[in-house]
Amino acid sequence: MGRRRQRVDLAAGARARALPEAIAALSRSLPSGPSPEIFRRAKFDRPEATSALWQLLYSVLSPLPAGNALASLALEVQARLVKSALCSQGYPRLALAQLPEDGSQLLLALPLCVCFAPQGSPMKGYPAARLKAQRLPQGLTLALLQCEALASPGPPAPHMEAEGPVDVRHVQWLMGKLRFRWRQLVSSQQEQCALLSKIHLYTRGCHSDQSLGHLSVTEAEMLRDPEGGQQVSGAGASQNLDLAYPKCLHSSCTPGMGPRTFWNDLWLVCERPGLLPGDWAAPLDPGGASAYSLLSPLRALLQTLEHENQRLEAVLAWRRTELVFWRWMDTILGTCSLEVPAAASQPTFLPWVPERGGGELELEELQEAVERRRAAWEAKAGGCGRGPEWSAARRASREAVERELGALQRCWEQDSGPAQPHGPHRLVRREDGAAGDQDLRAAEVIRRLRSQEACLEAVLCRLQGQCQQELARLVGALPGFIWIPPPGR
Amino acid sequence: MSIVTVQLGQCGNQIGFEVFDALLSDSHSSQGLCSKRENEAYQASCKERFFSEEENGVPIARAVLVDMEPKVINQTLSKAAQSGQWKYGQHACFCQKQGSGNNWAYGYSVHGPRHEESIMNLIRKEVEKCDSFSGFFIIMSMAGGTGSGIGAFVTQNLQDQYSNSLKMNQIIWPYGTGEVIVQNYNSILTLSHLYRSSDALLIHENDAIHKICAKLMNIKQISFSDINQVLAHQLGSVFQPTYSAESSFHYRRNPLGDLMEHLVPHPEFKMLSVRNIPHMSENSLAYSTFTWAGLLKHLRQMLISNAKMEEGIDWHVRPPLSGLPPLGKMSLNKDLHFNTSIANLVILRGKDVQSADVEGFKDPALYTSWLKPVNAFNVWKTRRAFSKYEKSAVLVSNSQFLVKPLDMIVGKAWNMFASKAYIHQYTKFGIEEEDFLDSFTSLEQVVASYCNL
Repeated sequence: MGRRRQRVDLAAGARARALPEAIAALSRSLPSGPSPEIFRRAKFDRPEATSALWQLLYSVLSPLPAGNALASLALEVQARLVKSALCSQGYPRLALAQLPEDGSQLLLALPLCVCFAPQGSPMKGYPAARLKAQRLPQGLTLALLQCEALASPGPPAPHMEAEGPVDVRHVQWLMGKLRFRWRQLVSSQQEQCALLSKIHLYTRGCHSDQSLGHLSVTEAEMLRDPEGGQQVSGAGASQNLDLAYPKCLHSSCTPGMGPRTFWNDLWLVCERPGLLPGDWAAPLDPGGASAYSLLSPLRALLQTLEHENQRLEAVLAWRRTELVFWRWMDTILGTCSLEVPAAASQPTFLPWVPERGGGELELEELQEAVERRRAAWEAKAGGCGRGPEWSAARRASREAVERELGALQRCWEQDSGPAQPHGPHRLVRREDGAAGDQDLRAAEVIRRLRSQEACLEAVLCRLQGQCQQELARLVGALPGFIWIPPPGR
Repeated sequence: MSIVTVQLGQCGNQIGFEVFDALLSDSHSSQGLCSKRENEAYQASCKERFFSEEENGVPIARAVLVDMEPKVINQTLSKAAQSGQWKYGQHACFCQKQGSGNNWAYGYSVHGPRHEESIMNLIRKEVEKCDSFSGFFIIMSMAGGTGSGIGAFVTQNLQDQYSNSLKMNQIIWPYGTGEVIVQNYNSILTLSHLYRSSDALLIHENDAIHKICAKLMNIKQISFSDINQVLAHQLGSVFQPTYSAESSFHYRRNPLGDLMEHLVPHPEFKMLSVRNIPHMSENSLAYSTFTWAGLLKHLRQMLISNAKMEEGIDWHVRPPLSGLPPLGKMSLNKDLHFNTSIANLVILRGKDVQSADVEGFKDPALYTSWLKPVNAFNVWKTRRAFSKYEKSAVLVSNSQFLVKPLDMIVGKAWNMFASKAYIHQYTKFGIEEEDFLDSFTSLEQVVASYCNL
C-alpha cells in the first residue's frame, strides 16, 4: 500500500502542471461549469466543497436550463435525489448513503453520474474496463456496463441535425425577410402616429368638453360613418390607432424613434417577446412561419451552436489530459479503499435491464408485484379521501390559499399608489407640453405595470418552486423512486 | 402607402413621365371590366400611391425631377400639363445649365455633392407630403453620366437619410451596340454602387424592349417614346393595385414592401427583371382571345428558357429532372440555357382570374436548392383588367436572367480597363483605379453568386 501510494505521488508530482489543466478542461466541459477548485477541496474532504459537489452531481444527473425554478432546489433535496439515483443504479458506497459530508466519496461518484447523464458528456463512453482496472467495486462496474448497454444507440442527436444541413443562404434570406418586415413595421407605426396626430389637430374645438378640445379616433370615426362604427373592423381599427400612439411614444421598443439599429431591436424582441405588436404574428409567407416564430429558431440555433462549440473545445482539451485525471482519481480511491468490503454487505438496487428471452418469467413476477402494490396504494389513497382528516386538511389548505390571496391583494393596493391601474383613458393632444393633475403619463403607467408584473411573476415562481419541492419531497420519501422532472421545465 | 419617384437624367425623366401617364390613364380607363365600386377602390389605391391631390382636383405626381440640362425637364413638365389628367408639382424639379458629358465620375463626384442640398431638400418636401410613406422609386439609366452618376450619389444619400424606407432603382440597361463609348465603365460603376445602397434593382434591357416594339407591336420606326411606353406598360402592370390575399377584395397597402420581401431579401441577389404577356398592337388585339392556361404556359416557358418576349420561345428547355444524377443532364441543360430562379412573383389581372392555375410555377426544379417553392413563389391577383388587355400576366423574377448581360458588360469594361482606355477622364474627377477594381470585384461576386444557384 505504502509503495503504491509513493509511486502514485511521484507520478502526480511529475504531472504537477498537467493535472490542473485536466481538471479545468473537465469542469469547463461539464454542463454546470463548476470551479476546478472544488475537485481539490473534495479530495481532502473539505466541508466547503460538499455542497458544491452535491450541486455538481445533481446538475450532471439532470441538466436543466439556467434560470429554471428547479435548479434552485434546496440542497438536501438535491442530495436526496442524487443519492436515490446512485442507489438505484447500484452504487454501493455505504459512506455516500449515510454521510453526505464526505467530499472524496462524492467525487468518486462523479464518473457514474456522468454516465447516467442524459446529454453528451466528456466522460461518456469512458470504458467500463478502465473503471474496472481502477479496482472500482463490482457493483459500480456492473451498473456502468448496463448503462452503456442501454445507451448503445449513442446520445440523442441534436434536433437540428435531423433536418439536414442548413444552407447559409437560406438563413440570410430569412434574415433579409425579417429586416423587410421590420421596415414595414416602422413605416406603419409612423403612419399611425401621423394619422392620429392629424385627427387630433383637425377636430380641435369639436369636443363638448373644453378641457379635452378634440375628438378621439373612435369619436371621429363614428361621426364620419355612424353605421360603420358598429362594424367590428372599423371599431377595431380605430381602437388600435388609439393604442398605437402611446406605444409608439413610450414603449421601450420604439421603431424609428431613436438611434437604435435593427440589431438592437431584434435583440430586444428576442429577449422580451411580449413587446412584439400583433402585426408580427402574421405569416411571412403562405403556409410559412410568422416573423416571431422565425426568430426563436434562429436564436436557439445560435445559442446551441455557441454553447456546443465551447463544450466541444473543453472536451478536446479534456481528452488530451484525461489520463492524468484518472490517475489522480486513483489516488483518491486508494485513500478510500478501506471501506470497500463494507459495501459488499450493503444491499443495492440494481437497475432492471430488459433482456430478450430468459427474462420473461421475471417480468411476469415483477408485473404481479406492481399490481399488488398499486392495489394496496389505491386502497390507502381511497381511504384518505373519505376520512375526516382529509376534509380537515382540505379546509385548512383552502383557508391558507385565501389568506395568501388577501395578502397579495393588499400588497397590490399598497403598491399602486396615486396612478392606479385605470379604466379607459383618452389620449389628449397638448400644445404647451404642460400636464394637468389628472393626467396619466403613459411611461409611468407602463413602468408601474411592469413592476407589478415582475412582482406577480416572482410570487408565481416562488409558489411553483414550493409545489415542486413538495412534490419532490413526497416522491423522494419513497425509497427506490426517482423523480424525473417534466421535460423542458 | 405612398411612393416617391425620383426621375434622374434624360432617360429617367422621359420614362417617369410615361409611367405616371400609363398609371393614370389605366386607372381612369373604362375598360377595367369590373364593377363601378371596385373601379373606384382601384383608382383610389393607385392615386394614394403615386399622386397627391391639389385643390382644383388635378392629381399631382409624387415625383422629383432632376437633370443637369433644362431641355428634357421642360418637355416633360409641359407634356404632363398638356395631358390635362395630371401634372408635376410646381417646385418639384431641379435642373442646371450644363450636363455631365456622359461621364459617371462627373455626375457622381462633381454634380452630386455640389447640388446635394437642393436635391435632398426637394425629396424631403415630397416625402413630407405623404401621410404614409413607403419608399422611393428611382428611375435612371446606367450608361450615361447624369442619371447614373447622380443617381448613384442620390441613392447613397437616401440610404443614409432614410435607412428604414425602401429603395427600388429602375435601371435602363444600354443597347449592346452602345450609344456611348464609355457606357460599360458607367454601367459597372453604377451597378456596383447601387448594389451597396439600394434594396432592389429592377432592370430593363433596351435591346429586349426594342425587340418587343419591332416584333410584337409591329412598329417600323422605333422611337425612344415607343420604347418608354412599353417599359411603362410593364411597370404599370407590376405596380397597379392587386388584392392583398387570395380570397380578399381589399387592395394591397404596401406593394413595394411586399414585393421586396418576396423577391430580394438576400443581400447578394438584388437584380429583378420583368416579363409580361400578352403584348401586341391594337390591331391584332381585336382578333385575339386568351386563356389563363395558355398565357401562363407561355410565361412559364419564358421564365425557364430565358426568353425576353412571347415570340421565339425555345420550347426544348425543360427543368432538370430532380432525383436523377445530374451529370449528363447538366451539360445538356447548360447548353439549352435553363434559367434557375431564386424567387418569382406572378401578377395576374383580368377576367376569371380566380380560375387561373399557377401550379406550373411551384415546381421545385425551377428554384435554387436552398429555397422551397412555398418561400420562393408568390402570386398576386386582381379581377380588374389592366390597360386594354382583358387578361394579362406579368412576371417579376429574381433569377439568372441577367447573369449573361452582366458578365458581358463586366468583361468589356475589364478589357478597356486593362488597356487603361479613358481612365484619365474618371481619375480627374476623383474616381481612382482602386474604385474601378472595387467595382469589378463586387460585380464578379454577384455573377458568381448567381451562377452557383
